[in-house]
Amino acid sequence: MRIVIGEDLFLLREGLVKLLSAHGFEIVAAVATAPELLAALVDQHPDVGIVDVRLPPTHTDDGLRAALQARAQVPGLPVLVLSQYVEQLYARELLADQAGGVGYLLKDRVFNDDQFTGAIRTVAAGGTVLDPEVISKLLDRHSRTEPLTRLTARERQVLALMAEGRSNAAIAQRLFVTEKAVSKHAAGIFAKLDLAPSDDDNRRVLAVLAYLES
Amino acid sequence: MLFALVLLLTIGCIAFILSRGTARPEGLRGWLRARGWGLLLLPVAMSAAAMAGGAHGLIPAELGLAVLAIAFAPELAAKLVPYGVLGLAGFGLHLAKRYRDGFTNPVQYVFVHAGPDTWRGGAPPVLLEAGVLFVTGLWLLVRVDAPGAVLIRALAGRWLDNGRGGISAVQALLLVPVVGLAMQLLGPGNWFGIGAVDGLDVAVIDLAVATAALVLIFRLRAWAATVAVAGLLVLGTYGWLIAAFWPAVPGFAYGFSDLGNNSVPSPLWSDALQGSLLLALGLWLTPRVMRHHLAGAPDPELAARARQLTQRVQTLTKTRHDAVDTAVAELRRIERDLHDGAQARLVALGMSLQAAERLFPVNPQAALALVTEAKETSSRALTDLRELVRGIYPPVLADRGLADAVRALALDTPLHTELDIDLPSPAPAGGHAGPGTAGGHAGTIDMPVAAAVYFAIAEALANAVRHSGARTVRIHLRHEAGALRAQVTDDGAGGADPAAGTGLAGVERRLATFDGILAVSSPPGGPTIVAIEVPCALSSAKTSSC
Repeated sequence: MRIVIGEDLFLLREGLVKLLSAHGFEIVAAVATAPELLAALVDQHPDVGIVDVRLPPTHTDDGLRAALQARAQVPGLPVLVLSQYVEQLYARELLADQAGGVGYLLKDRVFNDDQFTGAIRTVAAGGTVLDPEVISKLLDRHSRTEPLTRLTARERQVLALMAEGRSNAAIAQRLFVTEKAVSKHAAGIFAKLDLAPSDDDNRRVLAVLAYLES
Repeated sequence: MLFALVLLLTIGCIAFILSRGTARPEGLRGWLRARGWGLLLLPVAMSAAAMAGGAHGLIPAELGLAVLAIAFAPELAAKLVPYGVLGLAGFGLHLAKRYRDGFTNPVQYVFVHAGPDTWRGGAPPVLLEAGVLFVTGLWLLVRVDAPGAVLIRALAGRWLDNGRGGISAVQALLLVPVVGLAMQLLGPGNWFGIGAVDGLDVAVIDLAVATAALVLIFRLRAWAATVAVAGLLVLGTYGWLIAAFWPAVPGFAYGFSDLGNNSVPSPLWSDALQGSLLLALGLWLTPRVMRHHLAGAPDPELAARARQLTQRVQTLTKTRHDAVDTAVAELRRIERDLHDGAQARLVALGMSLQAAERLFPVNPQAALALVTEAKETSSRALTDLRELVRGIYPPVLADRGLADAVRALALDTPLHTELDIDLPSPAPAGGHAGPGTAGGHAGTIDMPVAAAVYFAIAEALANAVRHSGARTVRIHLRHEAGALRAQVTDDGAGGADPAAGTGLAGVERRLATFDGILAVSSPPGGPTIVAIEVPCALSSAKTSSC
């Protein structure tokens, strides 16, 4: 799998390169600035671009904007955005084009390399992966209002994991239940939230997020 | 003598009653205290009665009326007091004049028992006391706020106003004794032998001169001082003229020496001495008064500007003090958070790794568990640091500026939020920033101002979430008429007391550094509105308040 890395801190960039190489990913470019990143994303057309939000030249959100521009030029170009902090505002902007192939994670999720490489693969396959912190904030926003108050505690857990972009299998593994139980919960959630059920993981994520962001 | 003692005792008692603390005791003393300044009507009436009734008699009816007024109309009594005192002063003038004209009957004039055996026939002591009473009467007029006090206040207020060209009030007031001395020396009726002017004419001329002097003192302070100094020089020279040429020079009385009533010249050395003193005083004051005229009149615009600047310096001193305090408190909080949070976790991390290193050859399984624990600790350290950074300077604010930072804030609020944001570019409505906006992320709003307003809005939102029970919060944020205005309105229960918490007070102090203000309106039943305004948010000039 071909990967472009945009990260300005030398230690982290090399760390990512080593980690991903060790897992068999092919690093086609590892750059330190937003303009270089944009060029690499558009020219190399990688399977996934791993992007730090804060990059030179202005050291603000140049990386994020380079990723958005690249996706504007190459629709659906998969990008996994990493940051020291996560913002719902940025998550919305990344999801706005509804094209999928988007990830947005805290940098420290890299510590768990199985989860991290799993996220890279999901994004490369056109899926959506959102950091649990974004999801918990989204749920907080609706926690006081109907109909989210009607969900059981278990259903909330499942909803959060679905929103993070996990498949039924992954959710089942995480919650130590069967996949069948998860799909039953999912059906219950969709019924209570009045959403059209969907078997496609990505569409399901987008539906849940659209609901939560409304 | 006896009467003066009784009068002194009465006034002493009244002063004692009026001066004892602010608490009002019960009983007679409380009742007396409640009468206030009206009590002074008693000694005034006593004085008037003593005068009218001769040296020793008192008229009971007059005293009775005063007591009735004090008892049943204390307000009216208090207002009557200054007029009573002024009346006594007026009568003193009349009495002094009569003594000077040869009247010899003894009269009890307030404290003084005047008569033929008094100094120079009784006129000077009576005049002196009348002057003291006049000033006291004017002071009381203002103190009890009797009708007419407004006039005195307007005149004196303007007069006492500082910064009028360096001429002090005392210098201007010097005109009073100078005019008095001149009138005494060459007063109407004695003026170059014109003589035989009747009493009414004298009064009219006296009144005209006194009015002119007062106008000079109150309205043209510098000229009053100038005329006074010139008068001193002329009068001083006149003393030497008297000493050298008397009786060839005209004059009635020169200071302490009586010229008119003596057929033989008075001791001439005293006139020379008085003249020398007056001349010395005049010469000493001349450069001081002239300096003002040479320097030119003070520019009222400059004076106003000076006042403005003084006020500004006071405000800046206070807000700078607050800003420094706030900054230090903030640094201490950061230090504490780092010490107890990330720093402590890094120590724990190091210890876990150390233990893992030691265990590895013996028990690789346990070592692995320790490494996993270390990984979690490092994650928690990062979380701590993230929270800390948010409190110092929110990343979105640094990335995108105020408008998007407030949008992000609204998204993180567990309430329904409505936004109405209109800030100067760049504030991309949809969030996507084009390539053209790179570099101008904080907009044209100063970063420190943006941070202060951001934390103000954050505090208002947090309060709405915590206390109001609101469902919806509206945030208005716009730049208009040269000011950055923000308004956070919730539909909660209201009744918030901005003085109760420390959060909004801190926000207010922080805003004050930029001349910003914060107002809270929270009637019971809601809505609660927190309004913030910072002037000049777009400029970088910190010296003007706009």
